[in-house]
Amino acid sequence: MRDAVIQQLAISLADARVAVDAVLKAARPSEAPLAIAVVDGHGQMVYLVRQDGAAAVDVRAAERKAYTAAYIGRDTSMWRLQILHDGRTVADWSNSSLTTIHGGWTLRRAGLVIGGLGVSGSGNEDRDEQLALKGAEAAAQLAVDEWRTKRDPRPIRERSAVRA
Amino acid sequence: MFQQNRLGLGEAERARDAILAALTSTDSPIALAIADEHGVPILLLRQDGAPARMLSRARAKAYTAANLGLDTVVFRDDHVKARQRTLDDWGDPMLTTLQGGLAIVVNGQVVGGIAMSGNATIRDEALARLGLDSMGL
Repeated sequence: MRDAVIQQLAISLADARVAVDAVLKAARPSEAPLAIAVVDGHGQMVYLVRQDGAAAVDVRAAERKAYTAAYIGRDTSMWRLQILHDGRTVADWSNSSLTTIHGGWTLRRAGLVIGGLGVSGSGNEDRDEQLALKGAEAAAQLAVDEWRTKRDPRPIRERSAVRA
Repeated sequence: MFQQNRLGLGEAERARDAILAALTSTDSPIALAIADEHGVPILLLRQDGAPARMLSRARAKAYTAANLGLDTVVFRDDHVKARQRTLDDWGDPMLTTLQGGLAIVVNGQVVGGIAMSGNATIRDEALARLGLDSMGL
């Protein structure tokens, strides 16, 4: 019999906050204020902050970048290269929430898309992307940390009951 | 030129922390939206397991409270229901009459809106009020 439901990984609010804090920490105090958004695997908002002075357009851009990275399953800069190569435009997807502006990273766990992170406000889309990467790295590090705490601490040769 | 007071991320974070600390095991997962005087978000938050529509609603409530300078329940009772109007009269698809959005007013000036969704609307408003009181304004 087929299973009636499936289980799916999704980014938690706690992990989203760790990622956003990593971006805020990476930004230099002299830099322009940012908006940072984290969405789940469907592109739906989980956590967003706007630093004092960041513009309304940054909120919108951060959300669109995060949405695109999750929905398309590609970082926005990589997706831009891909559709340029394929001779397409964003309009081919018939989805006005998509963007190829740099600064959206796809968040994955075990190869699956669990969310997206978008940054806007630095005044330079490549700097936005650099900062967003800090958040994506922090989210990925959480997976590593989790694996470390869960794994069997014994050396491999001592783990198998058969061998023992 | 003119200068005006604006709501900061610091105030929003104080409200966030107070609301998350006040939740009990009987509450459903919540969504929180805090917006500036134009209704543009400063902080959005959706707890694990809260459907995406909860945050959409919270955003709409915060937008409504900030834009109109009214708590959403006051907007519903005094401006819509009492005058037998519908939301169409305002011509703004982001407006809502759902309870749970509060205007943030400092020295008589509207600086933003705070709104909750996820529970019964009365509980939503009580939690939003708690957040507003924790902003230190």
